[in-house]
Amino acid sequence: MSTLANAPDASRSGAARASLLARWRSLLPVGVVLLLIVVFGLTSDAFLTPRNFTAIAGQASTLLIACLGASFIVVMGSIDLSIGAVVLLTGAASVLTLNAVPIGAGAVLVGFGLGGILGLVNGLVFAFGRIPSFVVTLGTMSIFSGLALRLLDGRAIAYDSAAFETLAIGQWIPRLPNIALIALVLWAVLVVVAMQTRFGRYVFTIGAGESVARIAGVPVRRYKIYAFILSGALAGIAGSLAAARLSAAGPTLGSDLLLNSLGAIVIGGTSLAGGIGGVQRTLIGVLIIALLDNGLNLNGIDQYTQMGIKGVVIIAAVLVSQPLASIRSVK
Amino acid sequence: MTLDVFKTAQTTPSALAGGVFGVPENSAPAIEVLGLTHDFGPTRVLDSISFAVPRGTIAGIVGENGAGKSTLFNILSGLLQPARGSLRLREKDYAPRSYRHALEQGVSRVFQEQALIPALPVYENLLLGHERAFERGGFRRHGAMIATARRIVDAAELDVDVTGETGSYDFSVRQSLEIARACLFPSLVLGISDPVVLLDEPTAALAREEEAAFFRLVRRLRHHATILFVSHRLTEVLAISDSIHVLKDGRLVASRLPAEVDEDQLHRLMVGRARGVDYYSQQQGPIPVDASGVSSRPVLAAEGLSLAGAFEDISFSVQPGEIVGIGGLLNSGKTRLGRAVAGLVTPASGTIRIDGDPVASIRPESMVALGVGYVPAERLTEGVIPALSIAWNVGLASGDRLTTRAGFWRKQAESSLATRAIQDLRIRADGPARAVETLSGGNQQKVVIARWAARQPKLLVLDNPTRGVDAGAREEIYAILRRLAAAGVAILVITDDLAELIGLSDRIFILRDRRQVAALDAAAETKPTEEALVALMLGSQASSLSASQRVS
Repeated sequence: MSTLANAPDASRSGAARASLLARWRSLLPVGVVLLLIVVFGLTSDAFLTPRNFTAIAGQASTLLIACLGASFIVVMGSIDLSIGAVVLLTGAASVLTLNAVPIGAGAVLVGFGLGGILGLVNGLVFAFGRIPSFVVTLGTMSIFSGLALRLLDGRAIAYDSAAFETLAIGQWIPRLPNIALIALVLWAVLVVVAMQTRFGRYVFTIGAGESVARIAGVPVRRYKIYAFILSGALAGIAGSLAAARLSAAGPTLGSDLLLNSLGAIVIGGTSLAGGIGGVQRTLIGVLIIALLDNGLNLNGIDQYTQMGIKGVVIIAAVLVSQPLASIRSVK
Repeated sequence: MTLDVFKTAQTTPSALAGGVFGVPENSAPAIEVLGLTHDFGPTRVLDSISFAVPRGTIAGIVGENGAGKSTLFNILSGLLQPARGSLRLREKDYAPRSYRHALEQGVSRVFQEQALIPALPVYENLLLGHERAFERGGFRRHGAMIATARRIVDAAELDVDVTGETGSYDFSVRQSLEIARACLFPSLVLGISDPVVLLDEPTAALAREEEAAFFRLVRRLRHHATILFVSHRLTEVLAISDSIHVLKDGRLVASRLPAEVDEDQLHRLMVGRARGVDYYSQQQGPIPVDASGVSSRPVLAAEGLSLAGAFEDISFSVQPGEIVGIGGLLNSGKTRLGRAVAGLVTPASGTIRIDGDPVASIRPESMVALGVGYVPAERLTEGVIPALSIAWNVGLASGDRLTTRAGFWRKQAESSLATRAIQDLRIRADGPARAVETLSGGNQQKVVIARWAARQPKLLVLDNPTRGVDAGAREEIYAILRRLAAAGVAILVITDDLAELIGLSDRIFILRDRRQVAALDAAAETKPTEEALVALMLGSQASSLSASQRVS
């Protein structure tokens, strides 16, 4: 009798422990942010200044916007390697359009629209060609970069529009660059999309169990295409705003995004296997990458060493989040 | 008749206590199984199994699906450690910790799925995993490998060029190669005499003429190894075995010499089940279809469905409120037929009509929209998403109802849908937020059924709905299905479980070798016997027997 009564309790406390562990793991990135702030605060006088935080916000924003859509792709169990190339191509197209037609801040819509089309291309080839997304976006990464470099002719092209510039580096809220404000608003909107809409639910479900979703009648192929359109469109906004912030579109625009976007998503706690995490966690991942970049710079650590350190952090993040994934698949 | 079967089952264990029977005294056992018992959760899959196989002989192991054959092989090949009981190999204790460990002691297994790599030359495949024995100074000595592989092929008398690409040989040759490797590799390369080889349904995918070649091969190889093999084809078991062991519901119900039994007796030993087993709800009877139901047009009408390699020219229909069962052996095509109705595979030809209208695009989302629900056999990979909540899993198919016009997901509505399902289907869980992975198999299956019940489907297709489900939950699932049928849902049950097929169905279709071979009425008063169904599934001459049995 007593064993009968005990059995459910024992399993419940086991489950409780597992969920506690999961919660602890998901809080880990926040701990890392605090640790980085303390360490860099102690090692550099310039780090803990309002001025520097404004700078970090500006630097992190392009990355954050570009990562928002890509987070949906990763949580869906796929991958989008073309983010950086979309940023480059849409940045170039925005500046060239702006120089041809004086549309001012409207240039960001060029990036948004073109990005969406590029995402649609990715999505169609992926969903109908039944080619792994890794291969599709590896190919389009090269195609989009090639197109962009042709457009730019390998040079940086400047623009002349105060309105477009204000969109990125103006400060409607003091000390907060507009690009950062836009990034945070977009992040909040997409968190709602991920958590509260049918789209968010289906994308997550596809990542957690694609064949279950398919048998349950979820139009898997259509939602895969939607997700890629979203990823492209957001990378497009990021491309326009990045060009606006730098006052020009140059050949190196978005070149660090391949590593940084996937790094930020994974460090935030979204599993590359899909079905774990989501865009809500990506903010923290972006923050960690941005703090690392900024703090290491302030400490005078050279570019190459920085690359190495970032790589170590990404691998460590996956190692830490891995047990969670294996628990899930074993059960 | 059933009594008779039962008696046989009870008397045999004493007959096999000696283990070795009718075999010359001098042949010591190659492998002995002593009181093997194993449970999966609450289900006992092996129950004190004991038998011995003398060296250099062939033992056939037969039984229905779920009788415990695979579990037995898994234990013998080290993939599974038994809960109780022990094994002896060549009169020494044998407790393999892993497949590799078993292999090192000369116990190998040929799986149903081929394990050869098509792109490699034959000799590399024959020595796969043991290349290191042929390395010197880090270089692989291909000459030595080829010579060894030739010895294997020659001893098995196979006409194969060992340097040829494996993929260029057809299926039956590749299978012969695998069997030859399993039988000869241990003695020729590892120096283990008297290896034991486990063959898992070796002829399931072979054509009749290839089967003859297979028999000759196995007879030749008997001089090199002791062979245990599992098969559904009783004729071949009788033709090739030196002894036959029959498993049923985890017990060894008989050990026989092939001379002592015929096919019909084996059938009876395999399927004879004491009636009145709790879940065999024949006495309950199917819910009678009301007069209007019979005359109404069928919910599902399949007309001449064909798909190469899966099923050929299948036509049947399911009326509202009717439970139709489809039975057949493993490769009979019944699972793929079910998947076709669910829109998961597209038939090459034929028509599926729902409510009389032909379905233009056979895809899962369109079938779901038309009111078809599918409960797959693979519960954990296709049925539920284990890590997610009951509410998430139940609401998954009801996106049309659970979304607001603006595209927001109605979590509250989803949660109350799941709460209602938990009550209605008596899912043992403390709430809709509970992760499905914490539930028992039976309750997980109820979650899958609840997903469709929530949509008030027209047609529910279920593939082995109670596989891996304990007896209690099994009965509850049957009750749920009957209730759905009573509410007018048309139900199509595809199952390997004969008691389930007979007990649940109003009508039964039998598929054999991808074709429809019989349609039987299975109303409460005209239930066919298990033996009759097995005879139809096997397509043996035993069909005459089944006719006489049905009369008695």
